[in-house]
Amino acid sequence: MALDRKIAFIDLTNGEIQIKPIPISMRKKYLGGRGLDAYLLYNYSKKGVDPLSPDNPLIVSGGILTATCASATARTHVMAKSPLTGLLGSTNMGGFFAPELAWAGFHHLVIKGKAEKPVYLYIHNGNIEIRDAGKLWGKTTTETQWAIREELGDDEIKSLVIGPAGENLVRFANVMTGIKNSGGRTGMGCVMGSKNLKAIAARGTMDIRIAHAQEAFEYNKRFIDQITSAKVNQTQGALGTPFIWGATNCWGGLRTRNFQFNQLEYADDIEPERLDEIATETVGPHHMTGCFACQVHCRGQYRIPSGPYAGKYDEGPEYTSQGAFGAEPGCTSAVTVLTGNHLVNQFGMDNLETGSMIAWAMELYEAGILTEKETDGLDLRFGNDEALLEMVERICYRKGWLGDTLADGGIPAAEKIGKNAFDYLIQVKGMNNLHSDERATPALALNVATSSRGSDHLRSRPAIDLYHLPEDVLRRIYSNPIPYKGPLSSEHTSYEGKPWMVYWQENCYMAVDCLGICKYHTTFLGATLPNFEDWPKVIYYNTGLEFTSEEIWTIAERCNMIERMFNLREGLARNDLKKGDTLNHRYFDEPCRRGAPDVIGLSIDRGKFNKMLDEFYEYKGLDKNGKPKPATLKRLGLENEPSRSL
Amino acid sequence: MAIDEKKTSAAETLRKTRSFGKVRCHNPSCMGRIQPAPGADHAKCPTCGMEYRLFWVNPTLPRIRGPVWDVNREIAKKTFAGKGGAATLKAESKGGK
Repeated sequence: MALDRKIAFIDLTNGEIQIKPIPISMRKKYLGGRGLDAYLLYNYSKKGVDPLSPDNPLIVSGGILTATCASATARTHVMAKSPLTGLLGSTNMGGFFAPELAWAGFHHLVIKGKAEKPVYLYIHNGNIEIRDAGKLWGKTTTETQWAIREELGDDEIKSLVIGPAGENLVRFANVMTGIKNSGGRTGMGCVMGSKNLKAIAARGTMDIRIAHAQEAFEYNKRFIDQITSAKVNQTQGALGTPFIWGATNCWGGLRTRNFQFNQLEYADDIEPERLDEIATETVGPHHMTGCFACQVHCRGQYRIPSGPYAGKYDEGPEYTSQGAFGAEPGCTSAVTVLTGNHLVNQFGMDNLETGSMIAWAMELYEAGILTEKETDGLDLRFGNDEALLEMVERICYRKGWLGDTLADGGIPAAEKIGKNAFDYLIQVKGMNNLHSDERATPALALNVATSSRGSDHLRSRPAIDLYHLPEDVLRRIYSNPIPYKGPLSSEHTSYEGKPWMVYWQENCYMAVDCLGICKYHTTFLGATLPNFEDWPKVIYYNTGLEFTSEEIWTIAERCNMIERMFNLREGLARNDLKKGDTLNHRYFDEPCRRGAPDVIGLSIDRGKFNKMLDEFYEYKGLDKNGKPKPATLKRLGLENEPSRSL
Repeated sequence: MAIDEKKTSAAETLRKTRSFGKVRCHNPSCMGRIQPAPGADHAKCPTCGMEYRLFWVNPTLPRIRGPVWDVNREIAKKTFAGKGGAATLKAESKGGK
């Protein structure tokens, strides 16, 4: 059954492998996936560990529902101390790897040490082998996956791999599976590279017994109905995440030219409908595909229509690639976006961080802080498509002074560049912000400021705040499972009630990450999608474990708190611009100047922002400095951590 | 055990409140419903004046493709100036502090 999947502790230095069961008591406290990973990271790393040292544990997992009869249990989670931020490293991806890992007998891998030479892990039906990866080193992400399948003679193998960026220790290197499923954030590919670990390959045929199979199938029909009838998912299935980019750009919520503007004007060529046309022309009318057990199918397929990479196949692009190779560098060509997306996928490099770093360098260049001396003659002005794509390659291979400097991530690069370069860096906790502009949306600003892995939209964003839902509808969603009687506002520019919404979403997304399902299957982009009320049944029918909605909420609180404890141990401080819960000065000082009339002129009010932060800390049970109160730790059963009880 | 077969969740009941066949204005504080003429390639929000290019998924299902850039740019400029934006911009240092 799902609960008999094991955890493996693998030491790459001496080749030792320990396989253990996961006690039910741990499932009841952390469920699985990201939550249990957070427990493991906090327990199996020492304070101040160098992220690139053998002592930094790399943890790979599926959720408690992975490969069961529940929908969209495709997500793989990877966690370690981040070489990009020096804080929590955490990334989550779709595809087919986690289910294969579960069929091979495992839900969690804890990988420590460093191999003497490049290796990869082969996990199959309860066995784990450490194999030579000498021939794989230097290959792109796609080449690596095919080479492993060829070497092992099995086309059904699913692999988690790094590309050249991970090998070159680019601090924002990806972990990838498939063509474009990316564990993009916080540089987990860099951690793999530091361990000489090129890939983790999985193949399994071990059945997962469903606790109440008939009921699980029946209940999943209801789930599927909820998922597929949501308009937001229907649009995702037609256009993918570019549809969100299109709508966001329409009203002026898009980070543009390194946050100088909030809208990319005349961007017709990279609008979702245009990208859809290109996909239709180059791949065919049925070009949308999906991850394991998902009904949404939000992943596009395309071939690059022209230019030096014409004819190359890839998948996506996602919202973040439109931002990274469109709005942020000020480029409006579909070919540039599709090519940039292809390059980062093949190199194994976070598209969001890559595009943001280059856009930052572009602004520094236009401001005279960087010159042609540092760019090796490259004209790095905004809107220079060729320079943009050239810089992607330079970063991956650490070519030239600037490529090598940017590959180390924003804060180290700012220190190396000097002057006031840091002031232009749009980051939180050392990681660049999503390509959205939150100056008109205080709730979303609080979300990016407080996310545990650095600026991020997938940790606590109340995206439905933009829909202006009636207050009674908001109350039905946000008063469950924990009653909430405080204010709630339908107005996205309001500061009222937003801390609770962010707090609720933080727990909702943590629960989803513990279950191992995709966020498009919960209250993220659609108000009508499943959440706490719906999960107890899914867990019970599939695993036999009984929880109430309130218990799942408490587990999510606990898991979020242990992530917070890790960050505090590694130096998080409330108002620290480099390691804190705050935002770049542009959020407060520079108003939006493009987009819809109601957005123009808005910026975040610093005083009101701080009040929101105070309130958010209260809900979490933190003191004014953002540290957990003793009573909170006791309530969540964390007062004795690290306990090393697994 | 929180399992009750007959209970519908908040998510399920909310679905019943949806409407079809129109587009919503993308100005987030407006969100007015716009009903374009069949096959029209542009539509103007009757509430806030924003203008949009349209895409038709099928003959009865319109979707906003993007803004009419020139029109909305003018609206943005006037709005920004009206909110004292020009003065704010002068006071701003370009980029950093």
